[in-house]
Parts: sequence; structure tokens; C-alpha cells
Amino acid sequence: MSNINGVLRSLLLLFIVAFLAVCALVCRAAPPAAPDAMELLKRSDSYRNGWPAYVLRVKITNFENGKPDEESLYEVSQKGTEKTFVEFLSPRDKGRHMLMLGDDMWVYLPDTSRPVRITPLERLTGDASNGDVARTNFAVDYTPVYLRTEKVGTENCYVLELTAKRKGSTYQRVLYWLRTEDARPMRAEFYLTSGKHIKSATFDEYLTVDGKPQLHRLTLYDEIRHNSHSVLEYSNIAPRQLPDKLFYQGRTDRFN
Amino acid sequence: MHLRFLIPVLLAAATIAAAAQEDASPQPLPAERSYEVRSAFAVIDDATIDSNLHPPLPTAASQILSSPFVNLLQNQLLLEPSLSLRYRQRWSLAASAVALAESFHGLSTADFNLPPGDTAASSALQASLEPYTGTRTQLRVKEAYAGLSAGDFDFTLGRRMVRWGTGYAFTAAGVLDPPRNPTNPSDRLNLNVGRDMLKADYVHGQQALQLAWSTAALDSCQSNLHDTTAFRYNVLVHGFDTSLIASHDRGSTSEGALTFTRVLGQAWEVHGEAAWREQAALLLGAKFSTASGVGFIAEFYTPPNTAYFNPGAVSPLAGRPHYAFFYVSKSRLRELPGWKEWDLDAYIVANLDDHSSTTACDVTRRFGNHFSTYLHGEFPTGGKTSEYGATPYTNATSIGVRFQL
Repeated sequence: MSNINGVLRSLLLLFIVAFLAVCALVCRAAPPAAPDAMELLKRSDSYRNGWPAYVLRVKITNFENGKPDEESLYEVSQKGTEKTFVEFLSPRDKGRHMLMLGDDMWVYLPDTSRPVRITPLERLTGDASNGDVARTNFAVDYTPVYLRTEKVGTENCYVLELTAKRKGSTYQRVLYWLRTEDARPMRAEFYLTSGKHIKSATFDEYLTVDGKPQLHRLTLYDEIRHNSHSVLEYSNIAPRQLPDKLFYQGRTDRFN
Repeated sequence: MHLRFLIPVLLAAATIAAAAQEDASPQPLPAERSYEVRSAFAVIDDATIDSNLHPPLPTAASQILSSPFVNLLQNQLLLEPSLSLRYRQRWSLAASAVALAESFHGLSTADFNLPPGDTAASSALQASLEPYTGTRTQLRVKEAYAGLSAGDFDFTLGRRMVRWGTGYAFTAAGVLDPPRNPTNPSDRLNLNVGRDMLKADYVHGQQALQLAWSTAALDSCQSNLHDTTAFRYNVLVHGFDTSLIASHDRGSTSEGALTFTRVLGQAWEVHGEAAWREQAALLLGAKFSTASGVGFIAEFYTPPNTAYFNPGAVSPLAGRPHYAFFYVSKSRLRELPGWKEWDLDAYIVANLDDHSSTTACDVTRRFGNHFSTYLHGEFPTGGKTSEYGATPYTNATSIGVRFQL
């Protein structure tokens, strides 16, 4: 009797090991299901838009041949995905502010004492454009498609191709590398309507704010002039109750 | 027994340590302050030479001027502080001013053939030369107001710069706007001042109702102002930023106006104003931007030849005037070191009826975040009785330095 039990136990053990081996083979052979690109994109947006309404400061330092060249400071107030108010704080731009409402954009210049409508092409000025500062919700502006998975450094990343779906989008096409484990942005390439590769970005550093990892430092590389790049540093990130009045297109200053 | 638990504990500790190294220590949330302050200070030194100036003097003085034309140098030093304070998202105070010291060189009694020993003529001549000689100082309060924000309502009391017009060089609907000078559309030296007013705004989403009562009693700079009551309804719908405006000047006329702005495609913006004050006034304009950053603005403007719209430069016997404005600009001349600090712009404003015009150009060079220098030139052309040809100089050239904090 004990011999039969021993034989049966051995057979059972052999069966379990064989079953596990077959499962491992099957899993390795079958390609993983493609990830939901839009879900990934929305998760990645949360690293730059951690709350429904928030404020932050952005310092942009432009480098030429590795040396700091220009510096600009902005305070950004964001409400939802469609409303952005950017206040220019650098001495030469003081008194200036910018408002984005969906696809519409205004700049308030102290010289003119009134908001002036600006066109999408006027957003692409400087090393870091107004769109780089003000439009950070890629899920609203772009349609994503999953391309492949590849390594960036030591990190496995999903590669998404983003195509602009509204005229307010800063770029026509974006290639976007997101870390597989948490959809954290790692790098990006930006293309114009002409197909020209105009900028690349690396998402260098994240900080935890109120329990949420938020982007702290982003580097934009000029793909036309390869000796030029801009570093965007985000700080003073905080959720805020922002009144709708702040995003009224006739506002002539931050306070009234 | 201890080893059985030690390995998982070590593994768990290593995992936690590895995860912690990915993010720096958590950042505390910055507390929302009960007050916010914004301040700025600018210093501008502007030297302008009016070349071949025929100074507008009384006939008696003009007849004894040695040379029909002089070159007059005007130097202006402007100090422009501004301060804004907001308390608990409810109360606000703001003030900005311009302290101006101007001096003139190039015209004196030595330029005139005075009869010797005629002290009366000498005194009269000195009195007529006073606007073009010596040094004067002036303090202009641009804005000084208090504001209260209550829900969707904002209330403002004091001197406030308000611009309801959409044009760059002209406006027909800017009933509370500072006077628009088409030969200086951007108010280069920041000399415009606001109007003293009590204003109430109701803002809900992308709509606003604004009611303002402005008094001219305290304004010595703009003697042609009246007490004005004005109302505006502004709404953004399907990309059209549209306003309906109504106003009444006490002791004078009333006006109704419609304005709009719209962006078309990637590169075009159009704007316009239609107003009725005794007669119709019309402004149509467009802006075009290129991918390389060059901007073009063109405007057509036709006001009625009435006391309100007539700045006094057009003969009251003339018919309705027609104006055109064309502007081209490039900020950051090229995205290269040494080039991106340069901004260029040029514009021309023309009276299409008498074929006179003024052309102007600006070159600005920035040095870091605080300093900039500029060169500005104005060149009026046209017949001696035409609007821009009657300008008493052949060209005005300005060089300036600007410092900002």
C-alpha cells in the first residue's frame, strides 16, 4: 500500500512539474497583449498634471554650447485640461501674461494694455516655446498609437506615436517613451507638420509632491542647432482652488 | 528559525531602499499665502533729435528766426515704478506712475535776429520758446486703484487703464481707451494714463458684463475728455471673441459699437470694429504669422470727420478720411547666439486721401534680463497741408536705454 502511495505521489509531482513547464513555454511563446495606448497616455499626463487645478513655477534656462545663456521664469495656473494661465515673471517680461483656452490663445502685453489673440504659429518661439510651458495634457491634444517596447538605458519603455488631433496642439507628431511599469515619461521626440524633427526631450527628474510623483526637470534639445538646449525646472507645485475668472479672455492682469 | 525570516526581511528592506532612491525625499506642499505682491521698476533714457524742425512758433517769432529749420534734441528720463498687491483673493491694490524729466537743446534766443535793446520782444520770444527749451519735470499717475472681488463680481475704483478696442493703430470702439496714436501704436515710452472710474464686472465662464462710469474731473492731461458711462458685453463663442459696447459722454454724444477677433487656421488672425457715433466708423484688420516668426499686421480704418473722431489734424471741410496701417516685426532675429537678442519692427501709417504717411522703424537689442537699447526712427512724408506732411520735422531719430527690475 505504501508503495502505491509513493508511486502516486511521484506521478502527481511529475504531473505538476510538467504542467508548470508547459505553462512557462506557452507564456513565453505568446506575444504580450498590446497595452492600451490612451490609458498609458493619460497615466503619463498625471506626472505633469497631478491635480484637477494646480499652480507651479517653471524656470527655463537656455544653454548654448553648454553655457547658460538666457533664463526665464513663469508661474503657471492650470484648471482641467483646457485652461492655462501663464504669468511671465522675468524682469524683461514683467506684466506680460498668456491665456490658453482649448485652441484659443491670448497674450497680454503691457505695451498694448489689452489681451491680443495669437495664432498657433506664434506659439513656437524661442528654445522652449509657449506651448512647451502651457500645454502638458497630451491625452487631450494627441491621438496615441502603441508602436513597440524597447529599452531606454536600463528601463523598459513603451513607445507611443502621438498625432495631433486639434489645431491647438503644439506639435504635429510626437514619439513618446513611457516606462512600462508606471507609464512615467522617459523621453520624447517632437515633429512639425512638415515632418521636421525639431526637438527632443528627456524627463530627467521627478519629485513626490503630496504623495504624487511629479516632473521636476525636463531637458529640451534643439534638433536643428545641436549645441543648444533648454532645461525646464518645475517647482512650487501645489493643488489650488482656482476661480474661473482667472481664465477669462478679457483679463488684463493677474489680480483684477 | 531566525534565518527563515531573515532572508525575506532583507529582501523586503532592499526593495524599499531601491524604491526610495528613485525619488528624492517627498516635497512638502507649499502653503497658499494670504497675500501676493507683484512689483516692477523701469528706467528709460530717451534722446530724440527732430531734424530740420520748423518750430511751431507765433508768426512774429518765426519771422525773425535766423534759419528756417533747426535740429532740436529732446532728452527724456523716465522712472516707471509699479506695484500690485492682492489679499486673500479678494482685495487688490495697484499703482503705477511715470516720473518724467525732459530737457531740450538746440533752440534758443541766439537763433533769432532780435532787434537790439528790445526787451519786450526778447521777453515775448522767451515765452514762446518755453515749450522747446530748458528742463521740465512731470509726474503722471498711470494707474491707482483698489479692487474687490466677490464671487463672479469684481469692483474697481480709481484710475485704471482700460482698452476695449481691438485695433493696433486705430480704434473706433475704445470708448474708455487712452488716445490711440497710430504713429506710436505701442506707446513706446509707456506714457499713456488710465481713466478715473468706478467699474463693475460680472464674469461667468467666457462671458462678461462690464459697467463703468468714468469722470474727467481729475484728468488734466486729456482736456478733451467727458464724463463717460459705458457698458460692454463680451463673449467667446466658436472662437469669436466678440463685444457689444454702448457708451454716453455727458454733454456730448453716445456710441454703440461691435468688436470681434478670430484666429483662422495656423497663421491668421482677423479683427474688426464697427461703431456708430453720429456717423459710422469702421476698422478691419488682419495679422499673419510665418513659421519663421515674422509677423505682419494690416489695418484699414475710416472714421467720420466729426469732433469726437477728428484729432484736429484733418480739415473739418474734408470728407470722411481713410487710413491704412501696415506693420512687420521679427522678435529674436535669428535663433543663434548674438542674433536672438535683436528685435526688429517697422510700420507705416498712411492717410489714403491726401497721400501722406509716416514710416517708422525700431531696432532693439537686449542685454540679459535687465537691459536693452533701442533705435527708433520716424519719417513723415506728404504735402505741407496734408495730415502727416504737416509734421514740423523731416525725421525724428531716438536712441534709448532701458533698465528693468
